[in-house]
Amino acid sequence: MAVMTYREALNLALREEMRRDPRVFVMGEEVGLYEGAYKVTQGLLKEFGPRRVVDTPIAESGFTGIGIGAAMLGLRPVVEMMTFNFALLALDQIVNSAAKMYYMSGGQFNVPIVIRGPGGPAAQLAAQHSQSMETYFYHVPGLKVVRPTTPMDAKGLLKSAIRDPNPVIFIEAETLYPVKGEVPEDPDFVIPLGRAVVRREGTDVTVIAYMGMMYRAIEVADELAKEGISVELVDPRTLRPMDVETIIGSVRKTHRVVVVEAGAGFAGMGSEISAFVTEHAFDDLDAPVERVTGANAPMPYARNLEKLKTPTKDKIAAAIRRVCNANGS
Amino acid sequence: MSVTKLNMVKALNLALLQEMERDPAVLILGEDVGVDGGVFRVTDDLQRKFGSQRVIDSPLAEAAIIGTAVGMALYGLKPVCEIQFSGFAFQCFHQIENHAARYRLRSQGRFHCQMVIRMPYGGGVRALEHHTESEEQFYAHVPGLKMVIPSGPRTARALLTSAIRDPDPVVFFESKALYHAAKEEVPADPEALPIGRAQVVREGRDLTLIAYGAMLRVAREAADVLQAEDRVETEVVDLLTIAPLDRETIVTSVAKTGRAVVVHEAPRSFGPGAEVAASIMEGAFLHLEAPVRRVTANDVSFVGFAREKAHVPDVARVAAAARETLAF
Repeated sequence: MAVMTYREALNLALREEMRRDPRVFVMGEEVGLYEGAYKVTQGLLKEFGPRRVVDTPIAESGFTGIGIGAAMLGLRPVVEMMTFNFALLALDQIVNSAAKMYYMSGGQFNVPIVIRGPGGPAAQLAAQHSQSMETYFYHVPGLKVVRPTTPMDAKGLLKSAIRDPNPVIFIEAETLYPVKGEVPEDPDFVIPLGRAVVRREGTDVTVIAYMGMMYRAIEVADELAKEGISVELVDPRTLRPMDVETIIGSVRKTHRVVVVEAGAGFAGMGSEISAFVTEHAFDDLDAPVERVTGANAPMPYARNLEKLKTPTKDKIAAAIRRVCNANGS
Repeated sequence: MSVTKLNMVKALNLALLQEMERDPAVLILGEDVGVDGGVFRVTDDLQRKFGSQRVIDSPLAEAAIIGTAVGMALYGLKPVCEIQFSGFAFQCFHQIENHAARYRLRSQGRFHCQMVIRMPYGGGVRALEHHTESEEQFYAHVPGLKMVIPSGPRTARALLTSAIRDPDPVVFFESKALYHAAKEEVPADPEALPIGRAQVVREGRDLTLIAYGAMLRVAREAADVLQAEDRVETEVVDLLTIAPLDRETIVTSVAKTGRAVVVHEAPRSFGPGAEVAASIMEGAFLHLEAPVRRVTANDVSFVGFAREKAHVPDVARVAAAARETLAF
């Protein structure tokens, strides 16, 4: 184990996979000479040269389309979106080509592409740079969607995403890039896609969250422990396909669920979890599944409004107390 | 009040005609909407009546259609855009999500986008995948957008009228399977239905079926089957607006029946059915006698037309889910 930042963990994952597999290459705006808007691709141009670290024009649809074509012909592109909001400009390529090509070609072409970059709440980056963009990808059949919370997850999941034979949407976070944590240095260390992790065991309530909201939920769980509420924290890590088994296993133990997400919430992670928990574990539930979501508004620029847009610790704690008091058993 | 029997295409055409007569700021733009009157003839004859300044044939450039319309709306016009098939709208999604939906908030109310984006959606017409999908969840997710899906000629006409009059952007999905499926009596005088309001189209006390668009007919037929074969009284709710969702009508119905099945032809995961199920969980948990069931398309890209019947929910699947719910 080494201690490194989330940013360094991503960089290491890219470096190791590029060394392991000559088909892997990186492409995007400012990824080469400038070493990435957030320095995730630092040093890669120097080590691997301009044929494998490709600076593109500001044209998301164009370079995503090139990446999809390269993947169909056997390469392993890792395309960077400078921020994930900009991926909307490539949405047609992602949904209509990357996600469907394997199906439409009757299995003749798979598209092993990773589209990565930062997304979600940040620090006053406003509505076109800090929306929770996973909502536009996790209902697309044919895509996998990953949101890594820790540096270890960032490395292990990015490596799995690069090795996956199908398209993976991999959304990081500006606010997590400087976060430090332990990361295995073993180049064979990977974390499989589609597996959740129980970050903390508890007995009274299952709280499901990822990334910034998971860090917030950890603080809330610490505070509620003083009141005698034992919170189990589950991090889905991969949003599509969701690890139904781990979540249901936790619900069968705690009988109460709170889902926390930064996005606007309509037909979001909380909705899907609420729906499948009801389907699979209806008789185990002692309280309705609670959703704590971002406000149904674009991300504001003003700092005071930005704080109100995402779920606060008070709102998370209130939801946990509500389900713990709603004793249906 | 005089009424005529119209199919959904003619009913939509009537709404456009009357709103354009009523308000000179209303105009239409899209691919083939003018000379050809639209690929499905929804804008038939309107260019002849209103001229090419108000019924504008655009190039094949979805992002330009929406971008132009956003600009028009900011300056007070009321564009009704047609996207030829909903599968093509990913080309203009950034204009819808980043601009149309956000101008009111971004400009602190100084600007707003009064515009309608009409698109044919859905399966049942033996077309290939970009031409058959149901993408309503993409738009229902977006803060600042309204997402409307009528279930027949009369609701189509009345909701399109409301959408055109709404001060904010409305995405309006029209089921291709319904365009020529049936005629309904439609009042000759302009009629509007409020956006954001669901309708109970059949009353019952044993089970609530929730559907919209082309699936409403499937839900109603399943209710007939359940009545005839199981003596079950099914309440059927037609959502009509997906966002903002009329949770009150849904929860009131489920509080009465204790059982719910939601039907849509969009893929299952993270679909509107998840939102409906979660809303029932929040609003009527203690009334529920059984888990809410979802009957949806499979979690795959829309299948080739030979397999379409196995993909889109049908009466048998809805009835089977209803029986499981009743037996729980």
